[in-house]
Amino acid sequence: MVPAILVENLGKTYTRRKRKAGFWAGLRAYLSTASERVAAVTELSFRIERGESVGLIGENGAGKSTTVKMLTGILVPSEGRVETLGVVPWRERRRLAQNMGVVFGQKPQILWDIPARESFRLLKAMYAIPNEVFRFTYDEAVERLELGEFLDTPVRLLSLGQRMRCDLAASLLHAPAVAFLDEPTIGLDVLVKERVREHLIEMRRRFGTTIVLTTHDLKDISATCERLLVLDRGRLLYDGSRQGFEERFAHGRTLLVELGSEADASTRSALEHELAGDEVTFVWDTPHRLRVECARSASAPKVTASVLEHLHVADLAVHGAELDAIVTRLYRTAKAPA
Amino acid sequence: MSTLPAPTLLQAIGGFCVLAQKTAQTRLTYRLAMLVTLLASAFAYCVFLLVWEEVYRQNPHAGPLSREQMLGYLVIAFLVNTMLILNVESRFLQRVRMGLVAIDLVRPLGFVFVQLAQATGDLMVNAFYAVPIYVVGLAFAGPALYPASWLAAVLGSVSVALAFLVGFGVSYLIVQASFVLQSGYGVLFARAALHQVFSGLSAPLVMFPPPLRRVAAWLPFRHEIETPARLWLGQASLAEAPSLLLQQAAWGVGLVLAGELIFRAVMHRHQIQGG
Repeated sequence: MVPAILVENLGKTYTRRKRKAGFWAGLRAYLSTASERVAAVTELSFRIERGESVGLIGENGAGKSTTVKMLTGILVPSEGRVETLGVVPWRERRRLAQNMGVVFGQKPQILWDIPARESFRLLKAMYAIPNEVFRFTYDEAVERLELGEFLDTPVRLLSLGQRMRCDLAASLLHAPAVAFLDEPTIGLDVLVKERVREHLIEMRRRFGTTIVLTTHDLKDISATCERLLVLDRGRLLYDGSRQGFEERFAHGRTLLVELGSEADASTRSALEHELAGDEVTFVWDTPHRLRVECARSASAPKVTASVLEHLHVADLAVHGAELDAIVTRLYRTAKAPA
Repeated sequence: MSTLPAPTLLQAIGGFCVLAQKTAQTRLTYRLAMLVTLLASAFAYCVFLLVWEEVYRQNPHAGPLSREQMLGYLVIAFLVNTMLILNVESRFLQRVRMGLVAIDLVRPLGFVFVQLAQATGDLMVNAFYAVPIYVVGLAFAGPALYPASWLAAVLGSVSVALAFLVGFGVSYLIVQASFVLQSGYGVLFARAALHQVFSGLSAPLVMFPPPLRRVAAWLPFRHEIETPARLWLGQASLAEAPSLLLQQAAWGVGLVLAGELIFRAVMHRHQIQGG
């Protein structure tokens, strides 16, 4: 079967005029033709099968949005090969659009001056969505994303969260084979984020929609994606399962310790001395609360035993690293000079 | 896994019509702003009419047209102009600035048809606003506004439809310029100036000095206003009509095709603003 997305050695380079800050620099730039080439994406290769749900993550400027725009046919690549649903996106944009849903978190895609319900009707006509499909996707969106109470309010009067929900609903109304969601939960509260994630899961379950999710909220990824693509400065840093990513990069453990009584300086010192060779960091949040960061998961049992031996422990918990923490560490590592 | 079949021609036309209708609905949202625009235009048109009234009062043989023919021409010109004020460029310029073009590019209707449908929506609203202009115009020019004959009415109406295509074609080219320049305000003002002079809005081109008339003959703008006005009023002979309509059609189709060619070239180098 043709994969949902096929990318080989994809690259995008922009040309931009050189400018410096200030009025005189601006004037000089106005008269100058000096420009520079900026590589937004370099030698990107991956393949996404139909029905997969993939999280595309990276810091600001990592090339995520540029990649999504090339996959949707909005931008023409400077080099390499890209196919979405078996077609070259920028050559057959219209054909692809019929089976592609797109959310650009910062760009409203429903009409600003009329109620969302009217935009949904427009999309039904524009995509020629069969009645039975529309009935399901519309009802599912209205119910799951709780759109009912503001469906008849002009979009310009909606809050950011309400508008984002309408945008997401609009992008999935035609049950697309592939959905590119660029920051679909931006500006949403936790409850609504949860509903958005549920909606994505349901659409994928019902229609086998391939999802490419770009977000800075890694809980979105944890909830909806099995696979991760991590970009850094236009290059692919990691491509694999989310679980594999956690296993590969989440080496550490954190012990959270609540003390029944305050530990004196000599007890603290003895504990720290005993664990000196085990790559642990002691953080005393309060005199009664200790956090022990273990760099290696293997040292967690020994650290736990020592803590229990030296301190009067009221409560203790061991946590693995959260996806957010792992990714933060990965970004820092990638940035660190070699 | 589901895939939607491509819309049939009939479904695509349906989508086009609904987009036009929703655009019209959008335009009707800002009633007060539209009213102010209408009143300002009506004021400008009245000034034009009063100036020409005065010209003919001072010299009843000021040009090749009689006073009645002149007033009739001007009101019909204003009427056509009001109908064909399309928001294609201003809407697009705003979208370029906000990077919203990305959304237009992922619609199954195709970029040019999205623009055309929105322009059709503009036309629907403008036709509504043109009615009071015709009614007020009747007070100035009376029967001079009536079509010369049933055939003239048909030819004039066909010509208005083709004038819409010409106007859209020019706008579509401006849109492409906005893509290239990342801001099309300069081109937009140039277009407004050329339209004002060469469309025949302020006076029929027969009143122009010969060099300007020759320039106008090589530009599309006269087909936006002068051609439909002359056909409606019977100021163009029946023998001239087929050639005029053909010229309009050629300009309209040619401009849209040229815009489409530029669009395809521009797509290779454009950037989306705002990430």
